[in-house]
Amino acid sequence: MTRSQRIAADVCASLRAQTQRTFLMLLGLAVGVAVLSATIVIGQGTEERIMGLVAKHGLDMLMVRAGGEAQVFAPQADRGLAVLVEADARAIEADIPGVELVSAVQNQRDVTVVHEDRSVTTRAFGVEPTWLDIRHRDMAEGEFLSEGDMAAMARVVMLGAKVARGLFPEGGAVGRTVRVGNDPYTVKGVFIEMGVNAGGDDWDDRLVVPVTTSSRRLFNRPYLEQIVIQVSDVRRMPETAERVRNLLRVRHAIAPGRQDDFFVRESEDVENAAVDTSSTVSALSIAVAIVALLASGLVIMNLMLAAVSQRAREIGLRRAMGARSSDIARQFLLESWAVALAGGVVGVTVGIAVATALAAAGVASSRITWMPFAIALVSCTVIGLAAGLLPARKAARLDPVVTLRQRAA
Amino acid sequence: MIDVENLTKSYRKGATATQVLKGVTLRIAQGEFVSIMGRSGSGKSTLLNILGLLDQPDGGRYRLDGIDFSTADDDALSAARNRKIGFVFQQFHLLERASALRNVTLPLLYADGESDDGMARAEMALDAVGLSHRTHHVPSELSGGEQQRVAIARALINRPVLILADEPTGNLDAQAGTEILDIFRRLVTEGRTLVLVTHDMHVAACTDRTLVLDDGRITAERPGAIPSRIPREGRIDRA
Repeated sequence: MTRSQRIAADVCASLRAQTQRTFLMLLGLAVGVAVLSATIVIGQGTEERIMGLVAKHGLDMLMVRAGGEAQVFAPQADRGLAVLVEADARAIEADIPGVELVSAVQNQRDVTVVHEDRSVTTRAFGVEPTWLDIRHRDMAEGEFLSEGDMAAMARVVMLGAKVARGLFPEGGAVGRTVRVGNDPYTVKGVFIEMGVNAGGDDWDDRLVVPVTTSSRRLFNRPYLEQIVIQVSDVRRMPETAERVRNLLRVRHAIAPGRQDDFFVRESEDVENAAVDTSSTVSALSIAVAIVALLASGLVIMNLMLAAVSQRAREIGLRRAMGARSSDIARQFLLESWAVALAGGVVGVTVGIAVATALAAAGVASSRITWMPFAIALVSCTVIGLAAGLLPARKAARLDPVVTLRQRAA
Repeated sequence: MIDVENLTKSYRKGATATQVLKGVTLRIAQGEFVSIMGRSGSGKSTLLNILGLLDQPDGGRYRLDGIDFSTADDDALSAARNRKIGFVFQQFHLLERASALRNVTLPLLYADGESDDGMARAEMALDAVGLSHRTHHVPSELSGGEQQRVAIARALINRPVLILADEPTGNLDAQAGTEILDIFRRLVTEGRTLVLVTHDMHVAACTDRTLVLDDGRITAERPGAIPSRIPREGRIDRA
């Protein structure tokens, strides 16, 4: 063993020999680290749960609808709602930060699709390839439309699960030809079953074609009913929505004071509120943890300072045995660091255990990553060394001649 | 071994400086067993601290084992204390919560370089003072004499050339004191140099030579080992 290793081993031995004092020193730090790591674990669990909700419900979607606050469906042009165009979608895509994906959307009710002697009347959508990710949909069979389909204004159709069942009770819809309106379309894919959503929309009762196909062939009109947008950060949804609104007001030349001729809807406001609440709670417990950590730093420093006085004779003895004053300083620094690290280990263990228990009880979500460990390591090292600095300096400056003369306590 | 010339030392207490050593000159050869006597305040502890490299003189010269330490820095002094000197104190100064074995290994902590045979050396040192059966006892489980023997084992572990003892028998009963002095005598026989400070004439009488310190000067020097020559009043005749 080298000199440093021997001194470190000696510090550990003396900490073990004084378990009660060591325990008191690390207690505060353990509490602080426990609160901090439980907060992190629960915070990350909540984050993960929210991301799960985002993925499931399309929480990260902004929707621009033609026609202001009115909930109106096609035919748009007849109602004077012919306001949203493809160029609006491209402008949003190009100019607004925080926008991940954009899709122009047309839709029309009561479109009949026929296969042999079966027919289904449903709502048809014209969309872009990005729509699948924006709406968090997936294909059960076949594929979604491609850029090639867009460019070719291809007569391809993707069927909702119910529509597919209605036309092809035996299955095997993909690759077959159906008639939509007056033209034959190839079935390219079938969506996975989604069920009826909270707004009462039955997503299985839909068909989807390329928006180029719908605007030039199926509906034969240029106007859009919607533009759907995926934002990159759910928490900045309101900001992004405001930017979209401002851009469209400019593009549509709406004078100040006049009402919008479109409506920007943020999805799932309730969930956004949940994100806000949980981050407030996190901030509060992190503040508590930081106070606990600072307080425990002071406790360690005070106990170490007291130890320097109590152990003055021991320090003198060590000097007589050949310890340099730097060895004494190192001993006390190592001691407070070791205590702080031990507190950190206890704290992380307890904190993660508590968070896991809360998650198991269904009170909170938890997710264990490297983060609580890293934060505990760093904060305990900083606190331990900072708290040991003053005592170490005091110890190193003791005069062995004076301290050795002191009587036994 | 020890070559001290005209050593002076004063302490400052507030505005007044007290000169404790007023020009001490002495020589101690290797293998000698020397006692330093004197009343309290005579400067004997200060002299011992300087000989032990715990304190630096204001003036004069101190050579230990051929090396002049008058102007050495903390690191050099610490290293020399570790390698060349073993201390034995009146109050034993053992670590209360540590076993005899761990107490004995304490100086090894501060030795330079690698050492892996520390435990074996500590056991040998404890064996040398007759405590091989007490290695895992803490000081409170040991008698005063045993504690002082642990301290001697600790002083021996780095095989120092010089052992300095400050009233080593002061806290012990007569029998334990005699045992300690017997151990010291054996160490001297084995070739070590031993200097002890005492105000007990019986202790001084066990040494080869006694230096009497009075008011910061050596006022008398006489061979020891002849108890009959110790005067009743504690004054020692010039040899």
